[in-house]
Amino acid sequence: MIELKIDNKMVAANEGETVLQAALRHGIEIPHFCYHPCLSIAGNCRICLVKVGGRPKLMPSCNLAVAPNMEIETDTEEVAEARRAVMRFITLNHPGECGICDKAGECRLQDYHVRYGEPEPISIEPKSRKPKFYDLSPRILLDNERCILCGCCVRFTQEVSGSHQLGIVERGSHARVERLETGAFDDPYSDNVIGLCPVGALLSRDFLYRSRVWYLEPVRSVCTGCSRCCSVNVWRRNRHWHLRALGEELNRTAYRVTPFENPEINGPWICNKGYDLHRFMARQRVLQPMIAGRGASVEEALAEARRLLSESINPAALVSAHASNEELAAFQAALGPRLAVYSREDYRPAPGEAVEDGLLIRGVKNPNSYGVQALFGHRPYGVINGHDLLLVWGDNAEDTSFDGARVIRLASFGTQQEFTADVLIPVSTTFERSGSFSNFEGKVNRFDKVFDKPELVQHAGELFGRLA
Amino acid sequence: MSCLADKFDRLSATYPAQMRSSLVLPLLHLMQEEKGHLTESDAVFIADYLGVPAMQVKEALSWYTMLQRAPVGRHVIKVCRNISCSLMGAERLIDYLKQKLGIGEGETTPDGRFTLLLVECLASCGTAPAMQVNDSYHEELSEARIDAILEELS
Repeated sequence: MIELKIDNKMVAANEGETVLQAALRHGIEIPHFCYHPCLSIAGNCRICLVKVGGRPKLMPSCNLAVAPNMEIETDTEEVAEARRAVMRFITLNHPGECGICDKAGECRLQDYHVRYGEPEPISIEPKSRKPKFYDLSPRILLDNERCILCGCCVRFTQEVSGSHQLGIVERGSHARVERLETGAFDDPYSDNVIGLCPVGALLSRDFLYRSRVWYLEPVRSVCTGCSRCCSVNVWRRNRHWHLRALGEELNRTAYRVTPFENPEINGPWICNKGYDLHRFMARQRVLQPMIAGRGASVEEALAEARRLLSESINPAALVSAHASNEELAAFQAALGPRLAVYSREDYRPAPGEAVEDGLLIRGVKNPNSYGVQALFGHRPYGVINGHDLLLVWGDNAEDTSFDGARVIRLASFGTQQEFTADVLIPVSTTFERSGSFSNFEGKVNRFDKVFDKPELVQHAGELFGRLA
Repeated sequence: MSCLADKFDRLSATYPAQMRSSLVLPLLHLMQEEKGHLTESDAVFIADYLGVPAMQVKEALSWYTMLQRAPVGRHVIKVCRNISCSLMGAERLIDYLKQKLGIGEGETTPDGRFTLLLVECLASCGTAPAMQVNDSYHEELSEARIDAILEELS
C-alpha cells in the first residue's frame, strides 16, 4: 500500500498502480481518452496531464506509477490550461457534427469539450478531410474524420481479441484507422470497439440513426447465446420518452445490447452474438395458446394439459436449457417427482458460428445447461424411452422425433403453424422475466425484466403449479 | 519471387529468431529494390514470411516516405518542404522543378525518368535547401545546381 496526496487528499494506492487508476478509484476525476483498464497504456492523448510536486513539467497520469509521498494536483490553473490546449489540439480536425452523431450523449469528447474545452476554436485552418463512411465490416462503419487516434480499437484487436485486424496507417494529420484492403474485420468480438471508441468514429450499423441515446435506458440482463452467460445491458426506451402517437411498438423494442461490466464472468466485453441478442429476441413469437392446432384460451389449454398429464401412464419432460434457475426450481417442486426428466439443448452451434475460444465464447450454445444438469443430470432424450406423453419445454424441438407420444409444448419462438403439439402454451422470453442462470462454471448471473410479456404468454415458472 | 525469397532468407539468418518483426523494414526495402514500389499484397507476403500480423507491415509501409506505394520513375527526387528549407527558398525551387520537369507533386515524367515528391525534414537544415535523388543527398541547392544534377542523370 502506497500513500500519496491527490488534490491535498491522502489517498491509498496499490503497488504498481498508476496515478490515474488511483485517482479514479477514489472518485477524483481525471479526463482520459486513450486509457482503458484492460488495454496497455498508450499515453498518446495527453488529456490526463497532472501537476506532480517537484517536477517542472506536467506528467500524463495514465503512465505515471504511484510513489510514496507523491503530491499530485489535478485542478490548478496550469492543468486547466493544459487541458484546454489538448482539447484545442484534439478537436482541431474533429468535425462539429454532434447533431447527427450517434455517440452524442455518451461521448467523452463531447463531455470533456463542455467541461475542459473552450467554446470557440481559435484555428482558422480548414479541417482535414478523411474517408467518412469507411466500410470497416458489415457490422461497423468508421468515420475517420471523427477519430481522435487514441488507438483503443487497434489495441483491442492486438491485445484482447488477438485478430490484429485493425491498424493506424499514414501519419500526422493523414493518420487513420484501417483494416487490410484484402482482409475483412470479421473478428467475433469486433463490436466491442464501438463501445471502446471514446468518440463517434466507430458506429454500429445496426443501431445507426435508430435513436438518440438519451431516450434510452439500460436494463441489466444476461446473454443467452452460450453457457458463458455474459452480463449485458439491454437498451429500451426510457419511460419519460415513451411514444404515444407514432410507433407504439417502439416502446417495446430493444434498441441495442452492450456489455455490462462483470469482472466475475465477462469483464467489460461480450462477443458479437451478444451484441445481436436483441435480434435473437425479436424473432417471430408464438403468442396464441393452441389445442391440436386450433386457437384456445389459456384456461382451456391448461385444462387440456392437465387432463393429458392425469391420463398418462409414463409421462416425461424435456427441460429447456433456457429455463432460469427459479423456473427449474418451480418445475422440480410441482412436477419433478411425477415425470421422467430429460435435459435438452435448445440451440446448437449455427453453421459458421465460432464454436469455442479461449476468451468468452463457449461451445454449449444455451445459457442454463449447467443449471439443468445440476438438478437433473445430463440425460439427453432418446426415442426408445417409450413415454406416452412428453412435456417439451423450450425452442427448436421439431427436429426431435417423439415417436407417437402426445406432446405438450411450452415454446417462445416460431410460427404458430409449425407447432403440431396436442397442447401449445406460449412462454415468456428472457427479456420478459427476471431470474438467474448458472453458467458453465456454476457462477450464477441474474437478469432483470426488460419488457412486460404479451397478454396470452405465460411465465413458465408460474405454469407448473397450475399443471400439477 | 524465388530470387527474392533467397535474399529474404540470407538477411533473416543474420537476425535473432525471436525478433522477426525487426525484419519488417529491411525486407520492405529489399522488396522495393526489386519491384520499384510496394502494394498491400507485398506487405501481406512479408507478413506471411515473417509470421507477424499483416496489419503491422501495412502500418510500417504507410509510415515511411522512402517506401513507395505507387509506381515511380527511374530517379525519385524528394525535396524537403520543411521550415529551414522553405526559408532558404525550397518553395521557389519546387516550382522550378515542376516547371522544368513538366510534372506536379507526386507525378512521374512521361518518359519514366523522374518522379517528384515533397517530403518532410531530410535532417539537412544546416545546408538547406536540400533534396534527395534516389539514395544521394544534394544540399545548398539553387536553380543552377538542380540543372547540373539533372543533367548528370540518364
